[in-house]
Amino acid sequence: MALAIEASGLVRTFGPLRALDGLDLEVAEGELIGLVGPNGAGKTTFIRVLAGLLRPDAGIARVLGEPPGRAVSASIGYMTQSPALYEDLPVRDNLVFFGRLFGLSTADARSRAEELAELVSLEGKERSPVRTLSGGMRQRTNLACAMVHHPRLLLLDEPTVGVDPVLRMRLWDHFRFMNDEGITILITTHVMDEAERCGRVAFLSDGRTIASGPPAALRERAGAPTLEEAFLALRDSVQEP
Amino acid sequence: MNGRRILAIAGRILRQFRHDPRSVALILVVPVLVMALVGYLVGDSGKEPLPVAFVNQDAAPAGPISIGSILEGALERQTGVEMRDAPDAQEAERAVRDGETAGAIVVPADLTASLLAGEPAQIRVIVGGIEPGLDDRVVGAVRMAMIDVVAVAAERGATLPQVSVERMPLAGGVRLSTLDYFAPALVVVFGFLFTFMLTSVAFLRERSTGTLERLMASPASRLDLLLGYLLGFIGFAMVQALVILGYAVWVIGVHIAGPTWLVLLTLLILVVGVVNLGIALSFYARNELQVVQFIPLIFVPQIFLGGLFWPVQTLWPPLRLLSQVFPVTHAVVTLREVMVGGAAVAAVAERLLALLAFAVAMLLLGLLALRSQRA
Repeated sequence: MALAIEASGLVRTFGPLRALDGLDLEVAEGELIGLVGPNGAGKTTFIRVLAGLLRPDAGIARVLGEPPGRAVSASIGYMTQSPALYEDLPVRDNLVFFGRLFGLSTADARSRAEELAELVSLEGKERSPVRTLSGGMRQRTNLACAMVHHPRLLLLDEPTVGVDPVLRMRLWDHFRFMNDEGITILITTHVMDEAERCGRVAFLSDGRTIASGPPAALRERAGAPTLEEAFLALRDSVQEP
Repeated sequence: MNGRRILAIAGRILRQFRHDPRSVALILVVPVLVMALVGYLVGDSGKEPLPVAFVNQDAAPAGPISIGSILEGALERQTGVEMRDAPDAQEAERAVRDGETAGAIVVPADLTASLLAGEPAQIRVIVGGIEPGLDDRVVGAVRMAMIDVVAVAAERGATLPQVSVERMPLAGGVRLSTLDYFAPALVVVFGFLFTFMLTSVAFLRERSTGTLERLMASPASRLDLLLGYLLGFIGFAMVQALVILGYAVWVIGVHIAGPTWLVLLTLLILVVGVVNLGIALSFYARNELQVVQFIPLIFVPQIFLGGLFWPVQTLWPPLRLLSQVFPVTHAVVTLREVMVGGAAVAAVAERLLALLAFAVAMLLLGLLALRSQRA
């Protein structure tokens, strides 16, 4: 099977901090993979490398078979942690703008904007400026903007932080739906019950992958009842020797 | 009222300043900078003399009383001007027109004769007519010299009648008001100020809301981004320029002697540079306040040294050199020459090239600033 993401030995430092310290990960096309780890484990740095926003100091990264950057960026949807939207513009204009930026014609971008507004349940809000929306609506607009150009790979950086439980369920329904359509999704989270919903989970700690596999397999391997405990147990076993 | 709470708030404000050394530096440095500049510009010392062409056609026999020679001596004692002999009136006028001298004084052949006969006489001072500050200095120096001439003549036993000093501007002329001279400067300052504020704040927001990150993760290149910004803001800035010019011309009655398209072209080139300057500087600001703090730093020197109020030609040479780096200097001079002097494109080509160089340099600076945003 073709690989959507290949990373081997990725290193990226910020001054004395080693945000990525030899990270390895392979993700097949069509996977829904959760990146789990505490704050500072390197999740966001890894996503920014894949999005072509950061150059690694060492190691190799490939997305959809190509080095990260402008050439492949049209096939990637990148969703930032906090909504990155034009506050004064209506939802629709934000969607159309990002659609055109990623190469859609104006007509295509408009019809896509309508389609997405419906998908993320923002019908009736298309003409409202983003600044008048609630936090949850912004987050959904943010997600819609990441998907506007039909990406084959979605990089979602903590998409459900600060989102209420009802909306979180709705967002996850979207993720599942898109994944069923064949879109590869890499999602970072530190909420373990979200990680349970992923087909596969990779545990990240101190800039390295310490384990990866289906959630059930990881729990079994660690002999732990929950993913949270499995993470702690596996991290300790890595650190001990 | 609660003293402890009041003190807590006041203390917090002081502590915040301690973490914002740039604000403190600006609050202390900018006023001193402004005072130093104003003190220098308003004062009389440290100014460079202005070159003035001198043509002595006085036909008086060489003797103790030759008013032409006395005037020449008196002018040489004036520190504000530096005499340069010119062969004839045409050559003197050409020197003014080409900007080689700030003015020209032509002493008529019958000066001594008519003055000694008790008839009033006239000394004509030819000036450019485009920069009032410059012309005033030349005419002022001649008036001061005339007082000197009357005194010297009296010592030698001649009482002179009234001698008038006539200002002869090559361009502009009496129908122009002070506003005509300041309209070009106003158009430039407004164009610069608002374009700079709008772009730098817009780009700062782009950075702080994370949309810049999104743009950088898109197939758009840095140049696409800068050119897109440029196009958007040029449209906006040109509409603004048209509104200001339209108001100046139709409501206030300002004259545009030269071609209007040349005025707009000058503003267009200026705006290209300013948009990119705004983008580049927004990378050095964390918030809107810091963008606003850049304004005095960027504006104060350009307003004071850019020839808006005080002629660039009289500045201390290092300051004059500095003024040639400022886009405002070139834009103001170009617009004055076109709007007041009626200059055609060839006459201001060098200034336009200087503005173009500024625009290109700022575009490169903008690209460089954006480089830090992408791998």
